[in-house]
Amino acid sequence: MTSLHKRQVKAVLTWIATFILMIVMCVPGLWVVLSGFRPNREILAKPPVWIPEDLTLDNFAAIFGLSDAQVAIPVIDYFANSMIIAVTSTAIALLVGMSGGYAFARFRFGGKNALFLGLMLSRAVPGIALSLPVFIIWSHLGLIDAPMGLIIVYVALNVPFTIWLIDGFFRQIPKELSEAAQVDGCTRWQAFWKIEFPLARSGIASAGVFAFLTSWNEYALASQLTRSTDSKTLPVGLMDFTAQFTIDWAGMCAMAVIIIIPALILTFLVQKHLIAGLTFGGVKG
Amino acid sequence: MGNITLNKVVKAYGKLEVVHGIDLDIAHNEFVVLVGPSGCGKSTTLRMIAGLEDISGGEIHIANELVNDLPPRKRNISMVFQNYALYPHMSVRENLGFGLKIAKQPQNVIDQRVNEAAEILGLSSLMERTPAELSGGQRQRVAMGRAIVRHPEAFLFDEPLSNLDAKLRVQMRTEIKKLHQKVKTTVVYVTHDQVEAMTLADRIVVMKDGYIEQVGTPMEVFNHPVNTFVASFIGSPPMNLLPALIVSGAIWFDENTSIPVPSRLAPHVTEGQEVIFGLRPDDLTPEGHGIHDSGEGTFLELKIDLAELLGTETVLYTQIAGSEVQGKMFVPRDVTPGEVLKFRIALEKTHLFDAKTKKSVRIS
Amino acid sequence: MRWRAEKHTPYLLLSPAILTILFVVAVPLVFSLYTSLTPYRLTKPDSINQFIGLRNYERLLDDTKFWWAFGRTILFLTIALNLEFLLGLGIALLINRITWGQRTLRTIMMFPMMFSPILVGFQFKFIFNDNIGILNNALQSLGLTDGAIPWLVERDLAMFSIIFAEVWMSTSVFAILLLAGLFAMPKDPLEAAKVDGCTPWQVFRHITLPFIMPFAYIAMTIRSLDVARAYDIVDVMTGGGPAGRTELLWTLIARVGYDNAKMGQANAMAYVSTILSILFTWYFFTKLVAARRYMGGAA
Repeated sequence: MTSLHKRQVKAVLTWIATFILMIVMCVPGLWVVLSGFRPNREILAKPPVWIPEDLTLDNFAAIFGLSDAQVAIPVIDYFANSMIIAVTSTAIALLVGMSGGYAFARFRFGGKNALFLGLMLSRAVPGIALSLPVFIIWSHLGLIDAPMGLIIVYVALNVPFTIWLIDGFFRQIPKELSEAAQVDGCTRWQAFWKIEFPLARSGIASAGVFAFLTSWNEYALASQLTRSTDSKTLPVGLMDFTAQFTIDWAGMCAMAVIIIIPALILTFLVQKHLIAGLTFGGVKG
Repeated sequence: MGNITLNKVVKAYGKLEVVHGIDLDIAHNEFVVLVGPSGCGKSTTLRMIAGLEDISGGEIHIANELVNDLPPRKRNISMVFQNYALYPHMSVRENLGFGLKIAKQPQNVIDQRVNEAAEILGLSSLMERTPAELSGGQRQRVAMGRAIVRHPEAFLFDEPLSNLDAKLRVQMRTEIKKLHQKVKTTVVYVTHDQVEAMTLADRIVVMKDGYIEQVGTPMEVFNHPVNTFVASFIGSPPMNLLPALIVSGAIWFDENTSIPVPSRLAPHVTEGQEVIFGLRPDDLTPEGHGIHDSGEGTFLELKIDLAELLGTETVLYTQIAGSEVQGKMFVPRDVTPGEVLKFRIALEKTHLFDAKTKKSVRIS
Repeated sequence: MRWRAEKHTPYLLLSPAILTILFVVAVPLVFSLYTSLTPYRLTKPDSINQFIGLRNYERLLDDTKFWWAFGRTILFLTIALNLEFLLGLGIALLINRITWGQRTLRTIMMFPMMFSPILVGFQFKFIFNDNIGILNNALQSLGLTDGAIPWLVERDLAMFSIIFAEVWMSTSVFAILLLAGLFAMPKDPLEAAKVDGCTPWQVFRHITLPFIMPFAYIAMTIRSLDVARAYDIVDVMTGGGPAGRTELLWTLIARVGYDNAKMGQANAMAYVSTILSILFTWYFFTKLVAARRYMGGAA
């Protein structure tokens, strides 16, 4: 009887803890999203308005320049820049990462561990520290405020982690499959595209999502290497809402929604593979 | 002609040499089994024949063509892997036809050969399944089917049965034997299981530490092992090996225990030679319970430590001069530990090896 | 012929990766090492040719602002990473107990990981805002406080707020990986330990924890690869203020390099921060490799 009682108490405690956890996890984000649909006066109201009385798309209209109530922010340009830069750098990083990940997964060669560590450590250089020399060099190469400038940087930023993930996925595929294909008459290249690539496809896709999100969300380097609507990305554009002493909270929250949505959709799609990839690559030597 | 020739073949990883210049001739349509403990270089040798490992030295010829620098796909061989290596994203039909499709064979040829292979292996009803939906034995069959559709010069098998449970292993062993009789082709088969080697092979190649220890038919290898390694590796339970000394025409295990030197081996031993006496359990049997009760023999009274009942025979654990040995009792009766039995040693079936070189006294 | 080609294949496959890293990371780092030995200012381009040896580094030694930022960064990382690990472990154990709705919980947990750090910064700047933030509004509505608590202005509170934001953003990495570890854990050792008479705590301490440590090291390694993304959060939330009280190495570098245009000096600081990050990552990576070897076939 008492043990049953104890178990019930435990279950209730578990649920309370989970509930608090979910509140802390979800409420901040949800509050921002909600505020994106509320007029500024309601956000700024004192005493606070808890239950939204007035849900509106005005904030989105405003930042897209569709209403003349507020200063237009070139969100469409930012969005386009972000998309172009993130997609291009992800595609390149995937190609580079696939080639490198395959080398680590399938070959034995001198300096392998050192090279892997070196690639990983290159990722550890703080963005802001890296931005100083890159800023100077890029300005000599004319790559400041150009999408290409950011694309190159993001490829380098994403390559180490992409290699880590893809290496893990390729290692999950028995080497014998490629060997069997070669005995069956394939060249190594054919064996890769016909056997190993299709099997690692979902893993590679999730590595791609990870790379995309890194590029999509990056701020430290983008804030220094971009200047205008030619290349500014959404995270940098977020700063447009801050004036010297005031912040346009409603507009900012609306823009936050625009940044969050693609990220959430992609995360949701590949979450399973993502977890698998991280653990395969890391634990199974 | 699917003959395979290995000429002084060496495999080295950097400075570490794992296969030390082996020579081997495999005839057309011959079934050759490479057998040995793990790490003996048998799989490496097979993979060199397949082209999956580079050859560090020597030459390999397949069908009289030097293949050292040819990639696997140009060697016209097929291989069955230990874990089958079926393509998980393809159906059985696609798995079987993959090699032909890569070779750009016309679809009707592919269909015909795939169906033919499926027929031989009894896979016809499973063609649209994926490997994940097959049992271990069925996967094994698909792997073999994939090998035969291409009509290669040679089949290479790399421990193909080691992932199956014991019962299935025996069954598939028979199927492989039947398959070879149906599809006459050269086979090189690697295993660590000496029973598989004995049952399947036309010729057995016993390997150890990157060297070939002995090549011969199963009977030759069983009846005339060239050294103590082959003697103890082939046969189950393994051959008893006892250190002994040759003094005045007898084999002495200690001061009190001796048996005569078998007459066929007498010319090969010298007085005072240190030897290892080899005796298969089948040839150490209680009087009246043996299979070689005629011919040259000698008797020892031995105390039973333990008796293991196997049904048609009983394995008896006893000691000769303090060394543990196993004997067998055919047509068994009940035996109690502690019982002393009169054992017959079938002398003409026994072996003597030099204690230093470990080689059979007949060749050293 | 073939073996020779084979030998070069991995290097060939890796060459795009190596070239990219060389061009974007290695060469700039060498360049910044050089720059850190000059008094280079963006406003005076010629100053890049003037070699002053280690004077920028010597100046760092006397720079109290730098050392405060350095110490604060270490403190920030120590607190944040430990909290993230402990909370992550707690969350993983919690979710591992739950059978109903576990997948949904796991998905929800992944979301903070995917938030742009800059967005996390804004989000908490919004929430911690002393005037209109939901937190103060809630506290006031519940009557827990009369005045507005200056979360981002008072120095200890500001530090607390940025750590909170950082922990909110990154705990998921730990929770998710540790949970994956718990899922991968074989049941036999647990049962064997129970049969051997271990208390639940002993089972956790001696069986569960050692098993999931490699997963914790993966999380640590992943985290330390980009610890510096906390820059975004701090930059947005406090900008290093009030009066430099939340200044971390990274915000200081940005201020000295871009706002004050002292590139040489900033590069010297950047070098220190880079070495710090690399040591951090390297430390956890070797731990990971060691743990992986220790686990051997068990994992």
